[in-house]
Amino acid sequence: MKRPLLGTALVHMGLVVLCVIVLYPLLWVVGMALSSQPGLQQGLWPLPAQPSLVNFTHLLTAQDAAGHFTFWRQLGNSILVATLTTLVGLTFSVTAAYALSRFAFPGRRLGMTALLATQMFPATMMSVPLYAILDKLHLLNSLSGLVLVYATTSVPFCVWMLKGYFDTIPKDLEEAALLDGASQGQIFLKVVLPLTRPALAVTALFSFMTAWNEFVLAATFIDDQLRFTLPVALQRLVGEYKTEWGLFAAGALLVSAPVMAVFFALQKNLVGGLTAGGVKG
Amino acid sequence: MTRVGGVAAVKRAIAIVTLACALFASGVRAEAPPEKTRILVWHAYRAAEETALLMLIDQFNAAHPEYRAEALALPYDVYPSKLSAAIPTGHGPDVFIFAQERVSAWARDGLLSPMDADAAMMPGEFPEAALDALRSKGALWGLPLSLKSVALYVNKSLVPVAPVNTDEMVALAQKLTDPAQGRFGLAWEAGDFYHHASWLSGFGGKLFKEPEHRPVVDTPEGVAALTFVRDLMRKKHVMPEEPSAQLVATLFNANRAAMVINGPWFAGEIHGVDYEVVSLPIVSATGLPARPLLTVEAALVSATSEVKDGARALARFLVSKDASILRAKIGRQVVATRSAYDDPGVGGDTLLRAFRKQAESAVPMDNTPAMLTVWEPYKRALTAVLSGLLEPDEALAQAQRRLNAIAKPMPPPASPWPLLLLAAGGILALSIWIRRRPVRPDAPALYHDVRRAIAYCTPAAASILVLVFIPFAIGVGLAFFHHGEGRYTFVGLSNFVDILTSRDYRITEPMSFWFTLAVTLAWTVANVVLHVSIGLFLALLLRDPLLKFKGVYRVLLIVPWAVPNYITALVWKGMFHRQFGAISALLATLGLEPVSWFTRFSTSFAANVVTNTWLGFPFMMVVSLGALQSIPQDLYEAAEVDGASKWAQFRHITLPLLRPALLPAVILGSVWTFNMFNIIYLVSGGEPGGATDILVSEAYRWAFQRNEQFGFAAAYSTLIFLFLLGWSALTRRVAREPSPEAA
Amino acid sequence: MADVTLRGVHKAFGDNPIVRGVDLEIGSGEFMVLVGPSGCGKTTLLRLLAGLEQCDQGEVLIDGKVMNDAAPRERNVGMVFQSYALYPHMTVRENLAFALELRKTPKAELDARVNEAAQMLELEKLLERRPKQLSGGQRQRVAIGRAIVRRPSVFLFDEPLSNLDAALRVQMRGELMRLHARLQSTMIYVTHDQVEAMTLATRLAVFNLGKLQQVGKPLDLYARPANKFVAGFLGSPGMNFLRGRVGKGAVAGDGFSLALSPRYTALEGREVIAGVRPQALTLSAQGGVRGEIEAIERLGTEGYAYLRTKVGTVVARFEGGGAELKVGDAWGAACEAASVLLFDAASEEAIAVQP
Repeated sequence: MKRPLLGTALVHMGLVVLCVIVLYPLLWVVGMALSSQPGLQQGLWPLPAQPSLVNFTHLLTAQDAAGHFTFWRQLGNSILVATLTTLVGLTFSVTAAYALSRFAFPGRRLGMTALLATQMFPATMMSVPLYAILDKLHLLNSLSGLVLVYATTSVPFCVWMLKGYFDTIPKDLEEAALLDGASQGQIFLKVVLPLTRPALAVTALFSFMTAWNEFVLAATFIDDQLRFTLPVALQRLVGEYKTEWGLFAAGALLVSAPVMAVFFALQKNLVGGLTAGGVKG
Repeated sequence: MTRVGGVAAVKRAIAIVTLACALFASGVRAEAPPEKTRILVWHAYRAAEETALLMLIDQFNAAHPEYRAEALALPYDVYPSKLSAAIPTGHGPDVFIFAQERVSAWARDGLLSPMDADAAMMPGEFPEAALDALRSKGALWGLPLSLKSVALYVNKSLVPVAPVNTDEMVALAQKLTDPAQGRFGLAWEAGDFYHHASWLSGFGGKLFKEPEHRPVVDTPEGVAALTFVRDLMRKKHVMPEEPSAQLVATLFNANRAAMVINGPWFAGEIHGVDYEVVSLPIVSATGLPARPLLTVEAALVSATSEVKDGARALARFLVSKDASILRAKIGRQVVATRSAYDDPGVGGDTLLRAFRKQAESAVPMDNTPAMLTVWEPYKRALTAVLSGLLEPDEALAQAQRRLNAIAKPMPPPASPWPLLLLAAGGILALSIWIRRRPVRPDAPALYHDVRRAIAYCTPAAASILVLVFIPFAIGVGLAFFHHGEGRYTFVGLSNFVDILTSRDYRITEPMSFWFTLAVTLAWTVANVVLHVSIGLFLALLLRDPLLKFKGVYRVLLIVPWAVPNYITALVWKGMFHRQFGAISALLATLGLEPVSWFTRFSTSFAANVVTNTWLGFPFMMVVSLGALQSIPQDLYEAAEVDGASKWAQFRHITLPLLRPALLPAVILGSVWTFNMFNIIYLVSGGEPGGATDILVSEAYRWAFQRNEQFGFAAAYSTLIFLFLLGWSALTRRVAREPSPEAA
Repeated sequence: MADVTLRGVHKAFGDNPIVRGVDLEIGSGEFMVLVGPSGCGKTTLLRLLAGLEQCDQGEVLIDGKVMNDAAPRERNVGMVFQSYALYPHMTVRENLAFALELRKTPKAELDARVNEAAQMLELEKLLERRPKQLSGGQRQRVAIGRAIVRRPSVFLFDEPLSNLDAALRVQMRGELMRLHARLQSTMIYVTHDQVEAMTLATRLAVFNLGKLQQVGKPLDLYARPANKFVAGFLGSPGMNFLRGRVGKGAVAGDGFSLALSPRYTALEGREVIAGVRPQALTLSAQGGVRGEIEAIERLGTEGYAYLRTKVGTVVARFEGGGAELKVGDAWGAACEAASVLLFDAASEEAIAVQP
């Protein structure tokens, strides 16, 4: 297949224009982060004339009264919470999705519908009852409580994704492994999971982002500055009377940088993963 | 048996995870045994104010070795709801710093300790207005820390003598205005009632009708004040349009706004401008001074605190003379304590003195829940008038209707028995049906995996049950109650009846449930269609094996997905600004008129959709990219041989084969879009007049901006849930998805 | 090597009985082919042997031990799946070694056995490839190799050649026969292809509707089918069946008459179905079966003509090119009395008469 030079050029031009449209709003975030003065850059060009890194250095070197570098502590919390959320969320969803895909038991269809239904009730109404429940479970003010809540929140999407993917893995493979002498656990770990890797990458990313960007529940459930996650600290910059836009933008970039890194690392898998995972209900 | 092995493996995995959680929890939870009694202080201070507070806490700790006070700084947005959740369960702070706006409700709900005795220990120290602001039901509920109100900032190089009345102010402003240059005589956040309230009082208006203490806004004074401001902006053009806090700061710093109305916090944002702060001018039409709203930040003591003595001691310490001097000097607070101004460093500070003076004449903001209901209707009236959409009297009449609807009387309490009986009957019927249903003879063989399935599903099911379904059930339960005066009253189905019959509005009006539902549907359909078509189109482009830089494009195009949407939504909001936004600038370079995006339903809705499309298409692009890869290439080759055009190939091969893979993504995506609160709230904010609000943002407003009508909000949420459930059942039926058993 | 016994095995899925009381003995070292139309329960039987399904009634014995509740890996059977079921994320070597690794076989022995299997199946050059880089035939050999390395006492094959093209199928059949000769293991092979069944089997078990119809050496079954189903299933083109009544020295029906061997004399007057293989029925101008030619299959040195008769279509063989034949012509067919088999008209069982 050959395509005319003109067509190719047009496609590239279109894509470049689209990329510009997509990236332009982000350039405003960058512009705000790089400007040392409060206020608004006007017009079409978002970057300040005199860029300054002062917002970044301010955030990165902020210390609390006890001399802790709060940004780094909170970054640590965020990484810990997001990573554990991913692990716990994936453990929950992989097992449940496998059962929903493979085992015959009453209520499978109901289970899938119930999972979808969890996405339908507006989250704003849930935080106060959740607070009371976590209190009963003695999980308030602990990162593990937060991890549990986030992991649970991410389960429905992950199960839907993974179940669809498991459905595409032929049952023969598992039977072959059974005959090869593998136990159920070995089949799951050595045959099924390696084949699910792309879908796992997608769901891992999803769980990670769920935990990484959330601040309402984190701020509500945690009572200790040094246990806050980064988005909570970031949200502190939005005040009753005024918002520290420069710091907020710089913080938003710092918060999204790790996600973008993970994203870019996973993007090949992502394409394949969503494919076969096929978000197939 | 191998099955046992499988279960064991899963059990092991669960055990490991649990153990990890436990270890992790214990590690994080480990704390030094408390030797001293801890006093927990919550606040939302930042920067200098926070520094001052922390210094004072250190001083307090040094002076009181038996106590160890600790501060926790919280994001302002979550602070009130966190307090309401935490204090009743005993997890709250001992002392917390908050403005008076919720004092009545908290006092009523028993969250606060009375502080009359403490204030009495410092007679004459606090302005009566500040104490009034903290009183409810005859008791004092906090000690005033600082006074916040707006005043007039003037750029001294442009305005050598500050105006004393509005005639002078307007004349000056007209002289200093040059819209072509982007210069304005005046600027403030005119769309915000907090700023506008000054003019209301200046025109002799009051917000509440006594003695029933009911908010009344459609008064002649209100109309006069609103007309005055409208004329400044739309007739005399001495003020910028859609003035946001950022814009005001930018203009003032660039010497492009000669006079600015703002609070003490604004001083920190001023760079390189010689300015002074004076009290707001006298309104020439009435001869009354414009009196701003006074917010009193106070130290409040929790009713459930276990160290009340210490907590009160700390509160008293924070308002003491010495502490106040430090808060004034370091924290730049306009402290309430009178004697602090005896200190030359405080009393001699022109900025503090000016704001202190303004505070003396300010109107304390009402501290009852009724006040919280005023903001949204008034803001809507302001934006409608300032964008030229409505005349002041129409806008305020509309606001009054809104307020009446919000303050609707409690429905008559109902007996819960009919509903309970109905529910019990339903459960009974269901269980009988399940019992009587013939058991399939092959059930044991068909469901031989039940035990394994239970083992595999338990972790997810248990956590969802506890952390999703229980809160969900509570939420649905609330829908049958009315929340008012801090109490829940069972009212049966009347919340649903009110919503579905659209009691206060015609169904064609933006505030009715059906209108909002229609907007929500339009919103969902528009977004999903755009997400899918753009995503699919890009995926088709990016699939071409001959295309170079595919990876680069792919990476760049999925970036919007990776950045937290609360910041990008705000950026888009800024880009839609009529005078200074990037989109207007772009239109200007194309020779087009700038558009006032949020004054008309169509453009406001479009702005929301554009923002959300930008955010949402990458997900669909990735899904489509994946799905496309599963279509065998030879189908296209066959079609090519058959002479099918590109369009026919797309129509007859691509689309049908993509359907199964895309459909679940579309279902999930539409559920998410249906409940996409952030974008609506942050971009259009429901403007104009709540017309672009969707169901979920309405539910939010009922819960948090309209007198805490949690029951009503819960009923909204329940309706959202039922609607989505029905819709997904329908789509799945239409899609004729084979049941899992059949698969 | 082991013998395998099935005793009264029943298996149903839901209300749907798939295997209905099967008794079968398979001797050590036999190449037993289970054959039948799709849905006859042969694959289910194989999966019952493998332990992938549990039988509802009856017993499965391997090497004399009851294996009903034993897990697949305790049965020491190897299976080759119709879809090959190669692990896509492993190389050929890893696929072959997987079972041995699970068993913690020492490295040296593992390598030796993998290499041996690879050599036997000519896979040495492909060991580092992944399944998707292999052709169909190569995948098939890897699937067999995966069973071989484990040295199972019984090999189970589930229609292993059905995904291959015709030429490759013939070649693989040959390889399987050589393999059996070399390993001397018990092999149980499921197919719906009667040609495959006839060529591979040392013994053949024909199934229909969940029941074992007949078991025996392929040629015995061909020559002496136990019932009409077995008779019709084996051989191509399929046997002709003509409904009629036994008369004097002949069986006759509407428009046909075939001579019978004298041993059937005792059956005179009985309602029967006569079966004649097309190969034995010769097209001739006269002949006891009369009909019109409706189709002609010319194979070169011989061919088959399809005659429309009053009792249905009858296929008859002719010698040579058949240039004289024309569709629509009236012809007859005849055969030797010895090649006519009789089946009971009601039960369709073969009517056995001692010669």
